Amino acid sequence: MPRPRLRTNFLKKIRKKLPGGGYVIHYKKRNPSLPSCAECGKSLQGVAKGRFNKIKNAAKSIKKPTRKYGGNLCANCTKKNISQNVFKS
Amino acid sequence: MYEVGRICVKTAGREAGKYCVVVKKVDTSFVMVTGPREITGVKRRRCNVVHLEPILEKIKISSDASDSEVAKTLEKENIFEKLQIKKPDLEKIKKMRAEKEDKKEKQEKKKEKEKPKEDKKEKPKKKETKKK
Repeated sequence: MPRPRLRTNFLKKIRKKLPGGGYVIHYKKRNPSLPSCAECGKSLQGVAKGRFNKIKNAAKSIKKPTRKYGGNLCANCTKKNISQNVFKS
Repeated sequence: MYEVGRICVKTAGREAGKYCVVVKKVDTSFVMVTGPREITGVKRRRCNVVHLEPILEKIKISSDASDSEVAKTLEKENIFEKLQIKKPDLEKIKKMRAEKEDKKEKQEKKKEKEKPKEDKKEKPKKKETKKK
């Protein structure tokens, strides 16, 4: 039996096979939820996944798209926002 | 709508939200475009019409004009004041680039000095081990 703390669902469980034929359960922390567009709610592409300690040493261009509003709005919503601002002015 | 000299705003890619000038027509759907790069940040490139948003201003240039010609006509027709763009100091940019190149050269010289010293130290150690 696992510890009573590990019997809840807050950790992710992974089955690892052993050479003798049995298996062991490894416990792993869950990844944070993916970022989404602030206007339409669509999940964003080109944004780094995973926990912070694995992403933090990656290059800046891998973490976010280099576009204006990159990592905050999706590509279609930036296109709408820019073309609407042109018509107003 | 996208004739030569029309000023547009780019809506897609890394240059989204920046002003550019149409220089040449390629197809019905493609067009050549410049900022120029030193002034607004848009590189001289081919661009789809779907990724552009035209505005009312227009300048007089010949088709396939160079970047320096476009920059001069933008100053003549006071486009910077109409669109409220900051005028870049070209002398400042040149100084910044020169300083960067100087730093690179100094770093390369340091590396060249360090490398031969390491090689000389390694060679005598190997001879000592063979004697033992």
